[in-house]
Amino acid sequence: MSGALNPAKGNPAAALGVHAPSEVVPLAFMLTGILALCFGTGWFLFRPSLLSTYHYNQSVIATTHLLVLGWICSVVMGATYQLVPVALGTKLYSEKLAQWHFVLHTVGFIGMVWMFRVWNMKQVGHFGSVLALGVGLFVYNIARTLRRVPKWNVTATAVAASLFWLSCAVAAGLTIAIAKCGYDSTEGLATAAASRAVASGLHSVAAFMSRFDAISAMHAHAHLGSVGFFTMLLVGVSYKLIPMFTLSEIQSKRRAASSVVLLNIGLAGSFMTILLRSPWKLAFALLGVAALSVYIWELGAILRARKRRTLDWGIRYFLTAIVLLCPLSGLALVLSWSALPLNEFTGQLENVYGFLGVVGVVSLALVGMLYKIIPFLVWFARYSRQIGRAQVPALADLYFAPLQALGYWAFLSGILVTCGAAAFSVEPGVRIGCASVALGVATLVLNVVKMLSHLIRPQTTPLSIESSPIPRPA
Amino acid sequence: MTQLNEANILETLRQIIDPELGCNIVDLGLIYDVTITGRQVTVAMTLTTPGCPMHESIRWGAQNALLGIEGVETAEVEVVWDPPWHPSMMTEFGRAATGVGSF
Repeated sequence: MSGALNPAKGNPAAALGVHAPSEVVPLAFMLTGILALCFGTGWFLFRPSLLSTYHYNQSVIATTHLLVLGWICSVVMGATYQLVPVALGTKLYSEKLAQWHFVLHTVGFIGMVWMFRVWNMKQVGHFGSVLALGVGLFVYNIARTLRRVPKWNVTATAVAASLFWLSCAVAAGLTIAIAKCGYDSTEGLATAAASRAVASGLHSVAAFMSRFDAISAMHAHAHLGSVGFFTMLLVGVSYKLIPMFTLSEIQSKRRAASSVVLLNIGLAGSFMTILLRSPWKLAFALLGVAALSVYIWELGAILRARKRRTLDWGIRYFLTAIVLLCPLSGLALVLSWSALPLNEFTGQLENVYGFLGVVGVVSLALVGMLYKIIPFLVWFARYSRQIGRAQVPALADLYFAPLQALGYWAFLSGILVTCGAAAFSVEPGVRIGCASVALGVATLVLNVVKMLSHLIRPQTTPLSIESSPIPRPA
Repeated sequence: MTQLNEANILETLRQIIDPELGCNIVDLGLIYDVTITGRQVTVAMTLTTPGCPMHESIRWGAQNALLGIEGVETAEVEVVWDPPWHPSMMTEFGRAATGVGSF
């Protein structure tokens, strides 16, 4: 690729960002996500009993959806809009659809969390439908983007699979909501033919769902989202990003592909066996663990072959999350064992499993990735047109590394303390652990504020250009 | 009278950084060739990774910097992938700045 430029005719905007979408939509998703993380952490801090005792009540479900939809989904979807075009060398199909998705997503998840909190399942279904419409736009947009990928690879396969599982997770969630509110919410509709058809459909779905245990259906739905969407994307995208950031490359394409294929098979089997309370649950959990083991094997090989020896804090956050996959996988196997006695301690282990998955693995990985993505977005917005005209800061100059380090240890110790305290129902311990996680979140917020401050006050210095005394033509 | 030469071109390009690695593109070993023909400068450069999200920004920055040199009328920056970049192409300064080991 080449380009000649005449200073009088230069058009920076046209020359920049062939693969990069606008930074506005990804940033909007990410800032919304960080705000949701602040509220979610605060909720745990002031209500540690949510984790120290085992019960399904509206607060537990509302907090879970605040973190999963508000924090994780927002950041993952924003990152997908930014990373998928960049990582796969293509262009986002439609930014307009992404903007509409942001509106629907934000209205949908806030409404859902609020309605879960007051336990109005009819309105949960309505706000869930708004969210689902946004997810439909997201899936369509990214699927059309994938069709433009010039060279299909393991990352593209994982992204495509994650879209499928996300659609399934949303469909399962809506089905569960319909099962809980189908009868009373359709009473007012049965006046016109179309409304009667809708009412009849909702009744049928509710009748179908009554065949399944409600808790099992919820667990199956949770695994579709957490493993099918979040973990699948983490695995697939990291095969592109970790080599890029550490100056390495995939060591075995076959091993990378195997991990994605095994994860898909394991998840499909796990979904069915969890839903049906089948004793085969353990076998498919083992398959999922095997997939993650192959992934960790390949990631280790990539890291051993890296040319950049020093790992920055963003990568350390991410890799620590991957290490936490090991105890999480162990817990998954224990909880999948059909002969496991159902007692109070087992219930607490389920709490630990959920917390370790959502906050320990996915959130820690996302914080690490945010320390890569937000500086890139801010730098691109503020400095990409100034490079070559002034000295611009590097990405690492946009945030405080000591705060990153403090945040890392606060997150890690908070996660470990919370898990330990939750396992043995020690409420003060959960509060201390969550306070430490909150400190980690605070360091993230401070660093994000520092990064965003560059949008208002750019920090550039003039170039010292070598000049020659050749006279310019008159 | 000082003519345009490779040394002052490289010195100018040394002010363009790869934002992710935090090191300038000359010490990273990304500049493969500099050709000066009268008042036209052509630079052949590479990037550390194909598909690098900073691809266009870095190329654009190099062009901008070259055009800032008095006496340069046209600047052309060509991104090439052959030979592929390798850390052994970095200077000692570049290796130290990016945490890349010795070769």
